[in-house]
Amino acid sequence: MPPYMLRPVAPEGDRLKPGRDGKTVFEAQCGYCHLVGGMGTNLLTKQQMMAGNPPAKGLLSNRDDLTADYVKAVVRMGKGAMPQQTKVDLTDAELDAVAAYLGKAG
Amino acid sequence: MKLHLPPRVSPKQFQSAMTAFAGVVGKEWLMDTDADRDAYADTYAPGSTEEWPASAAVAPASVDEVRAIVRLANEHKVPLWPVARGKNLGYGTAAPRMEGTVVMDLGRMNKVLELDHKLAYCVVEPGVGFFDLYDQIQREKAPLWLSVPGNAWGSVLGNALEHGIGYTSYGLHARNLCGIEAVLPDGDLVRTGMGAMAGNPAFHLFPMSYGPTWDLAFSQSNLGIVTRAGVWLQPAPETSLEIVWDIPKVEDIGWVIDTITPLKISGLIDQNVFIPSWLGKMVLKGQRKDFWDKPSAIPDWRVDELLKEHKLGYWQVALRLYGEEPVVKARAEVVKAAMKRNLDAAPQEHWWRQGDPIGQYETTMGVPSAVPLQMSDWIGGRGAHMGFSPVVPATGKHVLDQMALSRKIIADFDVDFYASFTIGGRFANNVNMLMYDRDNADEVAKMRKLFDALIVQTAKAGYAEYRTHLGWMDPVMKTFDFNNHALRRFDEKVKSALDPNGIIAPGKQGVWPAAYADKRGSAYKGGN
Repeated sequence: MPPYMLRPVAPEGDRLKPGRDGKTVFEAQCGYCHLVGGMGTNLLTKQQMMAGNPPAKGLLSNRDDLTADYVKAVVRMGKGAMPQQTKVDLTDAELDAVAAYLGKAG
Repeated sequence: MKLHLPPRVSPKQFQSAMTAFAGVVGKEWLMDTDADRDAYADTYAPGSTEEWPASAAVAPASVDEVRAIVRLANEHKVPLWPVARGKNLGYGTAAPRMEGTVVMDLGRMNKVLELDHKLAYCVVEPGVGFFDLYDQIQREKAPLWLSVPGNAWGSVLGNALEHGIGYTSYGLHARNLCGIEAVLPDGDLVRTGMGAMAGNPAFHLFPMSYGPTWDLAFSQSNLGIVTRAGVWLQPAPETSLEIVWDIPKVEDIGWVIDTITPLKISGLIDQNVFIPSWLGKMVLKGQRKDFWDKPSAIPDWRVDELLKEHKLGYWQVALRLYGEEPVVKARAEVVKAAMKRNLDAAPQEHWWRQGDPIGQYETTMGVPSAVPLQMSDWIGGRGAHMGFSPVVPATGKHVLDQMALSRKIIADFDVDFYASFTIGGRFANNVNMLMYDRDNADEVAKMRKLFDALIVQTAKAGYAEYRTHLGWMDPVMKTFDFNNHALRRFDEKVKSALDPNGIIAPGKQGVWPAAYADKRGSAYKGGN
């Protein structure tokens, strides 16, 4: 059984202002499901393996094929078993930061 | 989602209210676009999300902002639907009961105000999630455990106020609440219990008030907006022993309940004992089509095959004892001897001692996880679920009777039976997970009819639900029929007195203010 993944404390300061740290926000506010052993990681690992990719790609932070726009769309609309996230879950400024962090494909 | 106005509010009046709300929270925390409305839709809606449309959402940051919004809501006659973190999946998520209601998202109020290591309690705002509280306890190295529900993505306070259930010795979450602060429908602010005296340090320690005790009047209710609450926590035990029995046959649940209940009532077992059926183990193993590729319910012969293949009994009891090692050992001997009267096979035993790691799926050790939401993938597509959740007396006879009834109805609708019984004391919560693909209109229509039938037939047999989805709040309230629905009449008298404009959560649990009484039974497109 994977160990519990302690999330970082969410960054201080105005959640509405640009310039939030994408990695910290991702781990704090997406980490319920997208760290090792989380619900999202488990389902994505399965999907990635079915597509012939290594299991490590189940972690969003390991993906290099995501675009910032795609990340934003999935977060706001939900996808499959992932529920949609509100602006209290993740403000637009936080989502910009997370999308930039995850969106290695541009 | 397009704008659905609240009753008797014109577009101009609505805009006026939105401007006023934005004046309190700042315009960024007033969310009133089409996309914002979709964000607050019921994620698992059995049908169109437009059956329960919020008109907007407003997110206050403080008690003062909550009070100001409530006063404005009264002025503008725009109703509010308060949510803690809004993750009430399977029961409506963050969506309101009455169309046009504005969701008040309390998620920004997310401070752990107190965490007392010695007296073993915390004081939380509504936005504190189970993960947040767990993480804070780890950071402070506090010798405290939580109790968490199956899906722990939500709010500690919100879940307790909805009568949520966990699987430790603190599993009856509403009973852990002690000392509530609430904003009343007129904007007033009240503290219950010893907190009714300013600065009294017993606010979250003594569970009753001088005079009537109102704490749970704010649970599953529309009488006020809870802005902080004390929550009692389990002191971290020195050791814990998990004892796992695979229970072979479906009818064995009878003797299992009759064996465990007396030990639970006497206190020898303190855990809220969760007894899931086999499907609970399967839904995390893959997709339904991998195991049964027809839409019809999995037949008994295939269930038997799957049980053999995956080495499962029909039920599983994974009971946990907590405490000092000699105490746990002694209790374990009693429990094992009791179970052995009906089951020869020895259980598995897993000891945990202070210093041992605790994995992330250990729900019965109070570790929060959202992994149960993976059951959406069992169905595939936009998989969803609703919970049909009657309460039964904790005797084998009642459990078997209620199970036979619900199993037959579910089978008649050709749906998979996925049940669990959680022994909470002298009662058991029976949660039946009804899973469906949101994009399969026939399946959704069938689920709704099934839900209608379950409520009505279960009530005829004399049992009621402890919690339900928005769409069924009125029919379930209708089943509480003693003395011409005296409970609802009482609730509505209190509601009228506290909330004459009816602006807090109209229709919650079937309690309607006079202002919106014509909405009773609306948006409910099922049977009778």
